[in-house]
Order: sequence, then structure tokens, then C-alpha cells
Amino acid sequence: MDRSSFPSDVLSTHFLWPHGMSYLNRWGLMDKVLAATPSHTVVNLVNEGIALSGEVPLDLLRQHFKELHQDDSGVVQRYASVRRKVLDEILVEAAVEAGAEVRQGFAVEDLLYDGDRVVGVVGRTRGGERVEERARVVIGADGRNSMVARTLRLPKHDQRPKCTFAYWSYFSGFDLTTAQLHRRGRLGMAVVPTSFGQNMTLVWGPSEWSKEFRGDIQGNFHKALDFISPEIGELVRTSGRREERFFGTLDQAAFLRPLAGPGWVLVGDAECFKDQCTATGMTYAFRDAELASTAIHSWLAGERPLDEALNDYRSRRRSQVAAAYYDYTCTLAEMQTLRHDELQLFVALRSNQDETNRLIATHADIAPVSEFFQASNLFLLNDAAKQSSDAFPIFNDFENTTKSYRQNLFA
Amino acid sequence: MNQETSPREDGELVGEILAAADLAIGRLDGRGAEEVLRADPETSQVLAECATRIGEAAREISEMMRNWASHIPWEAFEELGTSQKSDIEVERLCAFLREEFPRTRADMEEMWEPGHLRNPVDPDEEFALDKNAYDFYRPAGRDLMRRTEDFHDWVEARRRTETWQYSRVLEQAPGNNAVITNDLGRRTRGINFNSQDYLSFNAHPAIREAAAKALRDYGPHSAGSPMVLGNTTISNELEKELGELTGAEHVTLFPTGWAAGFGTIAGLVRPEDHVVIDRLAHSCLQQGARAATRNVYRYEHLSVDAVRGHLRDIRARDPRSGILVVTDGLFSVDADWPDLAALQAVCREHDATLLVDVAHDLGATGPGGSGVIGTQGMLGEVDLVMGAFSKSFASNGGFLASKSPAVKQYVKMFGGSHFFSNALSPMQTAVVLQATRIIRSPEGDELRGKLFQAIDALRDELSGRGLTCMGVPSPIVPLLIGNEKLARVTNRLLFDQGVLAFMVEFPVTPTGSSRFRLQVQAAHRPEEAREAARIIDRSIAEARSYLSSAFGNDLV
Repeated sequence: MDRSSFPSDVLSTHFLWPHGMSYLNRWGLMDKVLAATPSHTVVNLVNEGIALSGEVPLDLLRQHFKELHQDDSGVVQRYASVRRKVLDEILVEAAVEAGAEVRQGFAVEDLLYDGDRVVGVVGRTRGGERVEERARVVIGADGRNSMVARTLRLPKHDQRPKCTFAYWSYFSGFDLTTAQLHRRGRLGMAVVPTSFGQNMTLVWGPSEWSKEFRGDIQGNFHKALDFISPEIGELVRTSGRREERFFGTLDQAAFLRPLAGPGWVLVGDAECFKDQCTATGMTYAFRDAELASTAIHSWLAGERPLDEALNDYRSRRRSQVAAAYYDYTCTLAEMQTLRHDELQLFVALRSNQDETNRLIATHADIAPVSEFFQASNLFLLNDAAKQSSDAFPIFNDFENTTKSYRQNLFA
Repeated sequence: MNQETSPREDGELVGEILAAADLAIGRLDGRGAEEVLRADPETSQVLAECATRIGEAAREISEMMRNWASHIPWEAFEELGTSQKSDIEVERLCAFLREEFPRTRADMEEMWEPGHLRNPVDPDEEFALDKNAYDFYRPAGRDLMRRTEDFHDWVEARRRTETWQYSRVLEQAPGNNAVITNDLGRRTRGINFNSQDYLSFNAHPAIREAAAKALRDYGPHSAGSPMVLGNTTISNELEKELGELTGAEHVTLFPTGWAAGFGTIAGLVRPEDHVVIDRLAHSCLQQGARAATRNVYRYEHLSVDAVRGHLRDIRARDPRSGILVVTDGLFSVDADWPDLAALQAVCREHDATLLVDVAHDLGATGPGGSGVIGTQGMLGEVDLVMGAFSKSFASNGGFLASKSPAVKQYVKMFGGSHFFSNALSPMQTAVVLQATRIIRSPEGDELRGKLFQAIDALRDELSGRGLTCMGVPSPIVPLLIGNEKLARVTNRLLFDQGVLAFMVEFPVTPTGSSRFRLQVQAAHRPEEAREAARIIDRSIAEARSYLSSAFGNDLV
């Protein structure tokens, strides 16, 4: 049941990391998506002018799927930025083809209970007709502002209010080919080719700067691009044609909710919301869909009780690895200036493709944070560095530059 | 798309709705629609304009935002400003402001100005909990002294918020209970899992007497390098005893365990050689490897297959150089151990040499205190055995043991930390000698029996409460916490609740896998261990509630 009618769009980075694309491939839907949107394997990271390029290694992807799903079939190294009005329709059609009854334009307004147990929903059709449906289990795949979670008055845990503000739009007229993720000072920028021959062009920064930024969204958008990458800033200004309005959000505080209870389950942003800065939301929605549906299937097939099946889902989603990545994203979302040691590490990685690839996999939550960010590994990376930092201006007057970065650029 | 024709950005529209609603509420000043329409035409006009502004803004909200902010009843907003009649608009607006708006106002404000921007947090606590030590590893600037100040600021914030777990001091002997002071001068007493004295030798009369006798016989000072005149006849006796305990008779003593690990690798490995090292091996081994050669390969923890892969690769391209494979016996923050027979066999197949650090297991585990090597039936079979006295032998110091007299002489000369350090003091040497003798005696078996009763009680109680004890039963009981903030707050709470425990985090453990390392002693009574487990469990629950955290075992 969805209140929207498809095709329909929603705020999103539209980004699917390789594990996200792998799920689509496992479900037989990747080709349909690729027919409507470009995809690549190489990601370009540029931090304070220190450029790194790489792709997520296949072996780490396989390992990730084996550990999470005990099955590494269908993994691919591609990523894509796909508009939701393209993707969601493909998903809805696939659900119908698979035998699901999909109700579009149907607003779920309340839950039905038997004691504490959720036993169905009450909703309204677009025509205004009130409908009750009973169910053995109700799954809330209804996003950050989940109606299911709100109706159940579920608490939020591990709240991390510090987050980014993000503004973006869709530009045609230039082609940077592969995804560009840049950072300078307390600002970030992503340019990723997306559906309809456009580029998802996004800037973000610490939410405490948001008030000043929105004083002149268009002006500050370009100011941010120029600051982070003068070359890309000029390209967007001179060759880019903005195809839609600016979109933005500054309400991205991270949280967890309880993810299952009597008669209900939450998946995706509804159970765990994180800042956009790692662009993992859609990928996680797919992951949860596979984890939760596997668990529920095992119950429906009579293989184990529902509680046991859901505990399995819960333990994977609240694991040590999940907690470490949650912290990683929340820390990144503070958009502090990059530290001297981080920049030195990026320089060291320029001569180490394997570890650059692993960093990208770690950033995307494919390889565990604890394996890359481990003292003995970081020491070795530093020791093995073949490049010196001389070539990068950020090191010339690091302290004063960093101080200047702390001033709100839009004030 | 030019700016004039482009719809406004959603945030701006939300701001417009809030501003218009606030203006209307202010002008109404508690009056109802009827009263205003009857008596105040100017306000009626303003209200009608507000209704139009709200309705227009709501209708301009993008489809993206509607689907995202699905909790806002946009339809109710959209109806405003559509009637063309100002009195109807005023009535609708008043009903809207009375019924719908109060329910959604907070949610819309959160979209316009999130709560955290309105409510600042304690900056000290935030700073203390949000950073890791490694954040300060590469400070910038040419002034080597001044650039340490950022780290110091962080330490001070950790101290002020009582989340700095380091630099606590003892007020009395570190037995199964202890009195300690934290570095703010606050004192506490508790069941002590914070000291490493697995066999409780610190309080053993024979050990204390051995120290006293050595003090009387030789004085407190060794007065020289062991290569010159720092050793005594006790040193020779100790080397012999240790040789029998480890099954490797050629023993070299070092002033600390760290010096033994670092010195052994630095003494044997040259820049063209290779070191293949477990990624969780002790810091002294990691740093020794990095100091000796750039050819360092970290392998997946405990994986013999990974070692085999590395050795095969290295030998395929370098048949001439030496390869040292390095592992802990009992890993000091994970409490697990490798398959030594398999590792040693793989090393022999590739002409590599195996070094095993038995600092945490020798004396406290295995038949006759022979540690992991004895447990696995490998006494006398491992190439190089290195250890420390600081866990089960009641003293500083370390050693290297092998079956080769040549290795012994070579490491003494070229290991650096042996030649160029003062020798163990006579008292330290005598203490370790006495400890070794007890370890090998029936009394040693009895002490290890008591130690393992306490270990089992602690692990059972913690596991029974749904907490995760890592590794296998050993004097180290690592209690996994994970998130650093949770571990730091738990640590702060534990301080006042009667358990002394050491919290380890990065760089000792990888990021995101902090834990308590509980070190058990033979003097811990099982009931004491169970009581400690109950207190720890309670503190974790309180810390989780303080942080409102849902990660980990105790799920909501």
C-alpha cells in the first residue's frame, strides 16, 4: 500500500552503491534500471585537492553478501544514481508480476490491534473510501517519518542530531562520466550522472550553517561549488542547465527505532535513518527488504517461529559492524574539517590502489569499518606511502587554512 | 530553468507557511473567526492574505517533499486560499489553526530549524565522547612541542567529564579488591579486574620473601647492562628455569616484555627480510616489525590459510630472504589463540621462522603453567618463544627462548633493547625465579584451578545476562561493548559502583569494537566474580539508557 501513485518521486540521493545494484541484480531488475540510467564502477574522491579513484573490489562484495545473507550470488561492482520516478515504478511492477497486490494512492491512516498485537491497517483510497485490512504481519517500509512507527509511538534511539544540510538539483549540459565526491573545508559536493541525461548535483555542509545558506539558495549553491572545486563550479555555471527547482533538507538527524514487535516490522529509513552524506539510504532499504523478507518467509514456510526469525533480522541490523558504520556516518555528517592525519592518509593511499578500493568499500559499508580503521593497518599505510604531501597546497599552511575553514562561508 | 519560473525550494515554502501561520495567530490574539470578521476588518484582511500565502505555499511543495514528509497533512494546508471569498478563508484558517496546525507545528519546525540548532549540548562532553586518540596521531605544524596541545585539550575534556580511563593510581596493593584514585583525585574501592596478576603472586609470602632476600643480598640496583655486569647468579638460574618451562633452553632476559618483543624482531630481521604478522598481534611486535623492514604483511586474525598464502607469494618472488611469522599465544584483548602446530608446519614448508608471544598465557594456563604452547602439545617445537613477566610472574621483564644458542647470542648483541638497557634488578629477577618455581609446582596447579573457577563464574554470569564474552576461557575476559561512547559512559558509571575494570578502545582495538578487558586473578572468589558481572551489566544498561542506545545485545 502506498499513498503515492507511480511513477512518483521522493527526496533521495538516488544513489545505489554496488551492493544496492547487486540486490536489484539478484531480483532480476538491474537490466531494467540500467536501460534508464547510466552506471559506472569507478568513484572519484577528492579531499582538499587530493584525488583518489577506485572501485569496490568484487571479493569484498562477495564477502559482504556471504556474511549478511549467506549467499553471494548476483553481486556486481556497478553503482548508479537512478531517479525514484524511474526506480519505484520498476519495483512496483516487479511486485505485481511476482503476485503481490499493490494498492497505489492508498493512505494508511491507522493500525488495527488485537490487544498489543498489530493485526492490520485502516486506510483510505484516493476516492475517500475507508478500508480495513487484516494481516498476520504489517511491514512499515514507510520512510523516515514512518506512519507505522508514529502510530506505535516507537521511541528513537542513538539519536545523533548533528547532521548536514543538503541542497541539490538536476543539471544537463555536461558530462563528468563517473561519480565525483569532493570535500573542502566543511563542505561537500557530489556530481553523479543520473537518469534523463542529467547530473544529480548536490552540495552539503554542517547544518549549523544552513540558515545562512538558504538566504540565497541559488547564489550559495554556486558559491559552494566554486569553493569546493573551482573547475566543477565553472563547468556547472557555464555549461550546466538546471532542469528542476532546487531541493533541500536540513532535517537529517540520525536515529534507530525498534525494528520489530508483535505483528509489525520496520525496514529501511523507518528503522534506521542516517545522514545523506554516505548516500546509503536506498541501498539499505534493499538490504532490509531482503533480510526481513527472508526472515518472514522462513516463518510463513513453517521453518521457525516468527520471533526467532525476526531476532535474526534484528541481530544483523544491530550488530557490531552496523554500530561501527552508524558511528562512521554520524561522525562524517558533522562535517568537521579534514584532519591533518586524514589528509596524510589520503596522500599515502594514492600509491596503494588496493587500500584505496578498500576505503571506498568501507565508506559504502561493504567492508567493515574496523578492518580499515585499525591502528596496525593505518600505521602500515603511512609507512608504505610512496608519495609526499609536497604537491598539495593544503599542507603549506594547514593550521591557518583550517582555522579559516571554520568560518561560515555563507555568513 | 530560469530562476523566475522555478518553483520555490521546499524549505523556503515551509518557512513561509510557519511565518504566515504565526502572523495570523498573533493578529487573532485569542479571538475566534466570528469576532474578528464582525469587529476587525483590517485583521480579517490580513488573515485572508495569510490563508492565501499558506495555501499557495502548500500547493507549491514538491512531490518529492510530500512523499518524504509523509507525516504532514499537506492536503489540509492546500485547501486554504482557494475559495475567493475572504470571510470563508478567515473561517477556514481559524479552524485550521485551532485543529490541524497545533498537531503538525512541531514537525514543521523541525524541518525549518531542527531542534539541535536550537538546543546546544554540553560542548565538553560532546568533544570528549566524539573523538578518538588516532584523530591526533598526525598533528600539523613545525613546532613539535606546541602541536601536542590539541591532544592535550581533548585529554582535559575527557578528564573533566570523567571518561578518561587512563592514568589511574593505586592506593594499596592491587589484589582481588583495590582502592584507586582517578586522575581527578577521586577515590573508589572495588572488585579489581584492572590489574594483571593472574596467579595473585603480588601478595604471595614466598614471592615477597624472595624480593626481600635479593634486596638484602644484592641491593636494589643491577648497575649495568646484562651484556656487561648487570646480571647476577639469580639471572642464570632464572634462564635455566624458564628454559625448562618453555621447552626451549636458550633464554635471553629483557628489562620489559615490550623490549623483548621489539628487540627480538629488530635483532633478527633486516630490511630485505619479510614479517608476516597477525593483524591483532601486540603493539611491541607490530612496532618491531615496522622498525625492522618495510616488508610487513598483516594477516587475517588466526588464519593459517592467510599465512600460507603470504608465504607462498613471498617465496615465489624472493627465495633468498628471511621470513618471520609473528603471532601472540593468547591474544591480549581477544582471548583467543592460533593453531600453533599448523602455523609452525606452514613456516617449515616455506623456510620461515615462527615467533610466538606467550606473555598472557605462560604460567597461568596449560599443563604445569606451560601456556598455550603446552596446551597444544608443542613444547620444544616452536622456533622462537617470547614472553613477559608482568602478567603471571609478578614483575617487569621479558624473555626470548629458543633451542638455538646462536640465536641467543645474536639477539643479545643486535636486539638493542637487551644490550643497551640496564638489566632487570636483582629483586625482579628473584621474584620471577620464585614465581617460575611455584608455577611449575603442585601449588601452581592449585592456583590455576582457583583462577579458572573465577574465570568460569565471571564468563557464565556475563553470558547468562546476554552480554558477549569474546574468545575462550582464559585470565583475560574481554567483554564486548562496541561503540566507544557507550563504553566510555559505562566506564564512568562503573567507577562508582564497585568494579574496577579497564576499558580498551582504539588504538588498542579497531574503531567501533571497544570492550572491557577484565583480568582475573586466582584470589577472585567465584561469588565475587558473579557480583562484578551483575554490576557491570547494570552499568551497561544505565549507560545505554543515558545515551538512549539500541545497539548491542540488550535490545529494546
